Amino acid sequence: MKDFEYIQPETVEAATAALATKENADWATAKARVFGGGQDLLGEMKTGLEEPSALVNVKWIQGLGGVTQADGGNLKFGATTKLRALEGLFSSGAFQVLSEAAKTIGSPQIRTQATLAGNLCQRPRCLYYRRPEAKCLKKGGDECFAYGGYNKFNAILGGGPSYIVHPSDMGPALMALDAQIEISDSKGTTEMALDDFFTLPSDGDVTRENVLRPDQVVISLRTGLDTPSEWRSTYLKFQERDGFDFALSAVALSLRVQNGAITDARIVLGGVAPRPWRCREAEQLLLGSMEAASLAKRGAAAADAALLGAEPLEHNAYKVPLTKGLLQRALRQLTA
Amino acid sequence: MSTTPQQNADELAWPAPEKRRSIGKDTRRIDGPAKVTGMARYSHDVRLPGMVYARFVTCALPAAAIELDLTAALAVPGVVEVVRVVGDSTLYLGQPIAAVTAETPEAAAEGARAVAVTLTELPWAVTAEQSLAPDAPKVNPRGNIGRERTQEEGDIEAGFAASDAIVEATYTIPIQHHSCLETHGMVVDYRGGDSAVIHGSVQGTFALLDGPPDSLGLDASMVEGDVQHMGGGFGSKFGIGIEGKIACEIAKRLGRPVHLMMDRETEFHASGNRSGNSVTIKAGASKDGVIQALVADSNKLGGLSGGSYAGLPYVYSVANFSSTSRSVYTNTDGNRAFRAPGHPQASFGMESLIDELAYAIGKDLVEMRLANLPDDEQHSVWRRQLRRVADEIGWNEHPYKSAPGPHKVEGGREYVEGIGFGISVWGGGGYPSCEVEARVDREGSLIVSVGVQDLGTGSRTLVAMVAADEFGLEVHQVTARIGNTRFGNGVMSGGSVTTASLAPAVKDASNKMRAALIALVATNTGKDASALSFADGGVIVGDGLRVSWRDACALCPAGGLTTHGVFQKALQSSGVHGAQAARVRIDLVTGEVKVLKMVAIHDMGIALNPMAVRSQIQGAMVQAVSYALFEERLIDADLGIALNPNFESYRLANVHSIPEMTVIIDDEDGRGVIGIGEPPAIPGIGAIAGAIQNACGVRVRDMPLSPTKILIGLEELRRS
Repeated sequence: MKDFEYIQPETVEAATAALATKENADWATAKARVFGGGQDLLGEMKTGLEEPSALVNVKWIQGLGGVTQADGGNLKFGATTKLRALEGLFSSGAFQVLSEAAKTIGSPQIRTQATLAGNLCQRPRCLYYRRPEAKCLKKGGDECFAYGGYNKFNAILGGGPSYIVHPSDMGPALMALDAQIEISDSKGTTEMALDDFFTLPSDGDVTRENVLRPDQVVISLRTGLDTPSEWRSTYLKFQERDGFDFALSAVALSLRVQNGAITDARIVLGGVAPRPWRCREAEQLLLGSMEAASLAKRGAAAADAALLGAEPLEHNAYKVPLTKGLLQRALRQLTA
Repeated sequence: MSTTPQQNADELAWPAPEKRRSIGKDTRRIDGPAKVTGMARYSHDVRLPGMVYARFVTCALPAAAIELDLTAALAVPGVVEVVRVVGDSTLYLGQPIAAVTAETPEAAAEGARAVAVTLTELPWAVTAEQSLAPDAPKVNPRGNIGRERTQEEGDIEAGFAASDAIVEATYTIPIQHHSCLETHGMVVDYRGGDSAVIHGSVQGTFALLDGPPDSLGLDASMVEGDVQHMGGGFGSKFGIGIEGKIACEIAKRLGRPVHLMMDRETEFHASGNRSGNSVTIKAGASKDGVIQALVADSNKLGGLSGGSYAGLPYVYSVANFSSTSRSVYTNTDGNRAFRAPGHPQASFGMESLIDELAYAIGKDLVEMRLANLPDDEQHSVWRRQLRRVADEIGWNEHPYKSAPGPHKVEGGREYVEGIGFGISVWGGGGYPSCEVEARVDREGSLIVSVGVQDLGTGSRTLVAMVAADEFGLEVHQVTARIGNTRFGNGVMSGGSVTTASLAPAVKDASNKMRAALIALVATNTGKDASALSFADGGVIVGDGLRVSWRDACALCPAGGLTTHGVFQKALQSSGVHGAQAARVRIDLVTGEVKVLKMVAIHDMGIALNPMAVRSQIQGAMVQAVSYALFEERLIDADLGIALNPNFESYRLANVHSIPEMTVIIDDEDGRGVIGIGEPPAIPGIGAIAGAIQNACGVRVRDMPLSPTKILIGLEELRRS
């Protein structure tokens, strides 16, 4: 690991000021990195994938962690809120998806260190990306080795030219709650839909997974549901090994139930696409009565619709039935 | 089994069950507290004044011409030296090419990264297909295919003619890593002068005298090898390896202690593996379940080495068969022994085949096995064992005996359970090797010394138990000194030979000491030695006499008493059978396999420490779960790079994966002691694979038995 400067600001302003160097305006030249829980960044530094000359620790900035009430019963989560703190917060209702997603991540030790924003901003786990000797598309090379190689864990939706899957569990969970993300830099603060934060390899910088610049800091995540008290949600993640693994496929599902009928829904998939993958058409198919037979039929239709555009690679066709099955199971559990 | 009272050194036998005092009883490891508190010092933990740390730079390609520029590495602060450890080119992926030595581990790591390596790719093969291709590069100068062996018996054509069903299938097993908790390596304590001490993570203490004295330029008598605790070997640590040789050479050059333990990534590709295997089988059975014919053709995938394979038909008796196997060489590190070399591979294919044949003719899986297990007296134990595990796992109540369970999600059912079986065979006997010294002093210390290492299986505790039993002492009253070349010769822990080689020699030394102490008391009291014996607590009784352990020991001469024990053939035996059953639950939505329960029964003669025996068998079952469901070395076949040399993506079973385990110790035969290290690692994977098919009809023929493959199998069944 290369030597680096360690900066520990006490305010957001000081942090963004430390990041606001000329070279930090662009990922290609950036030298400073925001340092939260470090659960991904430190691993990248150890394997030589990242060699920052400065780390800006944001963990001790007052007010950057913790949960507060937001408009209309929604919640606001500080960027450095620990995953460990989220996992026991909600056992039912609109925000259950957050606790369920948090619980599936890493190990208790990792969740005690890892932050919410860090989970959203972590880099891919693609086997090729993680090997320093494979200079793949993600690392400025000109080939996605997974595409024609060992792609069991890679994307079936939204792939190309890179076929990574986004490793975040909190991303799909938050998107299922219409979350907004708040970002600061030395010029001020902006807010955008989390849906707009994540990018596909085909529509953004292929070496990145979101629009965050290296001189920016994530401040908070805010849920944006209309009348959260009418919503319920769940997160189902399937990993090859039960515990301490990443998703082969995951489903974040939230439903608005009014007068015994589903009136609104969010379906966001994890582990199958280079970003958390929202299924708008499938969501519409879920709307209607809560009668079991009808729901099962609509669930199957929604599952088909969600995976309609799937283009499996040589070793990951299993993700299609897996994801369909998980979505229908999530629906059954949430409407039981 | 003899029940003669143990009076004289020449009447050596294990006591009858009711007369066992320490042996035969569950005994916690005497070094357990040291291990769980971190006080136990492993080679990796050794820190010495002036010590330097060394680390390898390895080759990222399977074969390459190597150019090194060491300038930058030598300029890293703290780096002491950098040396090339390979010739002009490499032969396998992950081969060490340079060793960097530094004042700190961090500087060594930084130095290793700073070595500028220019690889000029040479032609290579990392898969069997690549190695067998017509234009394949020569992996081995003598050819890419090793010697082919064929075993044949009977009339195969007649066998197939007598068959009512024929199954043809190919079963493959990937290369598996040993995944020792402590990586390979050693600490060489040499500071110039004419002596050295070597702390090595090896599974044979005396391996530390095989090579290092030459590398250090020292007389072997001036080199001490030490293996107090070692973090797992499983067959991969018989010799000192390139890491040991290089560590000694660095120490010789620098005249400083050297710490060279492989980092995890190097460990994955340069310290051996369990060879992969691919076997294509065609076999037929008649309606009564008897396998009438079997033809098998197998490739052993052991990298640069030959691989190991126990051959087919494994365990079962087939009248008409032909079994061919050959080695296929690739540019990956050579396989090494791994817990029952060649047997798990053979067992997986054989048990899978039996299941498939059973379903093809509609036969109960247990009945099918009974129809093919050898029925001579010596092997009838398998039948008894199979019935026992079948009872224990709930086979009698199980609904899917001769046809698999359902593969569809319907009626609210999302899970289905299945059961599978496996059978094993192993040797496990001992041989003359261990030289044990027992010593008693006037203060009452009983010290039993032998150079043998404790692989992690409880050998240290065993030494104390066997000695304590002889005198009626508590186990903690015996000091067991092991793991050092200053003590008498030991035995390599391989082939499950340790206990059966060691325990008889400890018993011999203890028995002689018992006779010597009794003779001493008899002489001093004028009693007849033949009337005296040891009662509980080390008290010598008989002929109206009662002499405490301390008082008896106080009669010793100033230098105490010393006896020597050697191997006693009559105290051991050989030949371990076994049967295991697994119950799994399949999630029909995700393909997830949850191993709910495993049952194992194995015979090993007298179980000296039943707790250690159960621990061995449980560990083997966990290893089988891990191997069956998760473990697989991945190398990109186009790029030739390692894809998962780490514990994130080389998945091992974790605490959630471990099933309920029932261990039945089969000690009904009254034989002497037999090792149990390897046999329980054999039948589990076949049992799990069978349980998966039994549950849902999906037969995964290539390990690991991943949910992803089961899901695809379920989809195919639903479509068909």
